[in-house]
Amino acid sequence: MDEELKRKIEKIYKDTEVEFPERNRMVVKTKKASILSILEFLKREGFRQLKAISCVDWIKECEFELIYHLAPLNSPLHIMVKIRIERKNAETETILKIFENAKVYEREIHELFGVKFKGNPDLSPLFLENWHDLPPFRKDFDTRKYVKKTFDEIPSVEDRNERT
Amino acid sequence: MDRKNILKWLKEPGKMGHKYSLWAVYFCTGCGIIEVPPTITSQWDAERFGVIPVATPRQANLFMITGYVSVKTLKAIIRTYEQMPEPKYTVAFGSCPINGGMYWDSYNTIKHIDKYIPIDGWIAGCMPRPEAIFIGVTKLWMMIDKGAATGYIRYRKNYKFYRRNQEKLFGKLPWPPLYPVDEKENKNG
Amino acid sequence: MVIKIIEFIFSPFLAFIIGVLFLGLFRKIVARIHQRYGPPIIQPLLDVIKLFHQKGFSHGALFDLGLILSLAGSIVVILFIPFGGICPLKSSGGLLVILYTMLFLPLGIALSGGEGANPNISIGISRKLILSLGYEVPFLLILLSTMSFYRTISIVDIVNSQKNFHWTLFSPLFLSGIAYFMILPAMLGMRPFDIVSAPQEISSGPAVEYGGKYLGLFHIQHSFSIFIMIALFVDLFLGGGENIFYFFLKMLTIFFIMVLIHSVFPRLRLEQALRYLWKWPTIFAFLGVIISKVVR
Repeated sequence: MDEELKRKIEKIYKDTEVEFPERNRMVVKTKKASILSILEFLKREGFRQLKAISCVDWIKECEFELIYHLAPLNSPLHIMVKIRIERKNAETETILKIFENAKVYEREIHELFGVKFKGNPDLSPLFLENWHDLPPFRKDFDTRKYVKKTFDEIPSVEDRNERT
Repeated sequence: MDRKNILKWLKEPGKMGHKYSLWAVYFCTGCGIIEVPPTITSQWDAERFGVIPVATPRQANLFMITGYVSVKTLKAIIRTYEQMPEPKYTVAFGSCPINGGMYWDSYNTIKHIDKYIPIDGWIAGCMPRPEAIFIGVTKLWMMIDKGAATGYIRYRKNYKFYRRNQEKLFGKLPWPPLYPVDEKENKNG
Repeated sequence: MVIKIIEFIFSPFLAFIIGVLFLGLFRKIVARIHQRYGPPIIQPLLDVIKLFHQKGFSHGALFDLGLILSLAGSIVVILFIPFGGICPLKSSGGLLVILYTMLFLPLGIALSGGEGANPNISIGISRKLILSLGYEVPFLLILLSTMSFYRTISIVDIVNSQKNFHWTLFSPLFLSGIAYFMILPAMLGMRPFDIVSAPQEISSGPAVEYGGKYLGLFHIQHSFSIFIMIALFVDLFLGGGENIFYFFLKMLTIFFIMVLIHSVFPRLRLEQALRYLWKWPTIFAFLGVIISKVVR
């Protein structure tokens, strides 16, 4: 089944590479433009479950890698569809029309990496509170500096009492 | 209950009542809450000390902050703490609320919880065992006896400083101040 | 005259002491069943003392008045219930007065909690009123059967005619006694029927906004209501008591069985509870009414 699927994908989408890094794992590397159609194709093939969307920051190559994890309900095959987007002005199409549960994943990635998803109606902050800095999961975000800037700046109330 | 305590009961029923009937609000932050179920159930039975969990902050007078506190949780903690009736006691539990613990350089975890709400006692460890909770409770009894557990009084006295610290972190808070805040002094200090 | 006044003051006080003691015993017995040591028996008393020394929040005039209404209703009921030879108000229509005044107990809490404006309170109160609707039907039938069996509406007369072990439970009316026993956990708010104050679902239901001395009054009302429900059972079906000690012993037995039931059963859903209450206890109570008509 796996080889058959590989042949099908490579036949329809010319600029995609399909690999099998280990048993029951399949990696589909594709371009940003064809993500919607390839996801739709895979959904029609039986991969009806979007497990997660993850994001990797490749800072040396100036690119984000978005990984869509798909799984069918009846076989152990796990598909990772990978696309690369530019780090500057990072934005891509939302996949809400195909998988509705992508809403929260996209919201989270937008908050933690700053990737914009065109067409997602709700990209408001999910975890962070009163955040004005760089998105925290980017590689060029300095946590230690941020901690010094925000948390260590706040004075202790009890010590103030002892001094006076 | 000791027979020697009867005189104390007649003299200061309120203080003894607070001492022997600590009701802890069921508020779970972080991983420390994993230690609370064995503490309140058969193995270690906290009820023999009068410590029971209650479901709402209105009825509680003991607040155990169990484990690391993220920024969003701190907001809920402050709201819960301000709803509790006085006198109220807080115990920070585990090393994360004390100084950040293993999250000392995390961007979203509070480092020193006592900058935002007053803390009466600390239980160190990662995680402290249930026995440590009992030692903490008995220490709290001693503090209540001596009148040293004054977290709520300090909170009322220094409310504007606590509020200022909270607002530094959250921006403008959506709820009104619990105690009156003098606006002029707030700007100068 | 002086004895009368002492009785008036003494009986609510005794009811409070017995109710609080029962609550303490309740916690101790449940702890022992869980293989724990358990709190001291006077722990609920310590809790009430603590609560009266705490700051409370009032949510409006009705919040206070409803609680007081419920408390006053329970005190009036206690004055009408004879226990162990003590009965401050020996009116001829005692049972009917008890019947009407007992309505104040859930109603006062409902009025008071309605002011709290917490969604958990309104869920808890609707559960409480529906549950009281559930046990009220068999309860009325049971009272009707006992009244028509003894041809009197005075509770003192009913107690007096059960002297020398002619208990109603051993008379042809035992079906009504069984029905009362079956609805007793629902009236006490104990485990198969503790849907009103379910701490895990609706964070202790109507009590969610009570704190400090209001919660103390709430606890006192609860201990009063425990006393009333069990004392009424002992009076109607177990022949009252020659003195306070025997009366207390009978109450203790009933309460002990109730605690055992409490500690083994899981909580029912509301509609399951209502279905149960309107089925078996109602059938038994109805049979009791028919028997009381046939026998006399």
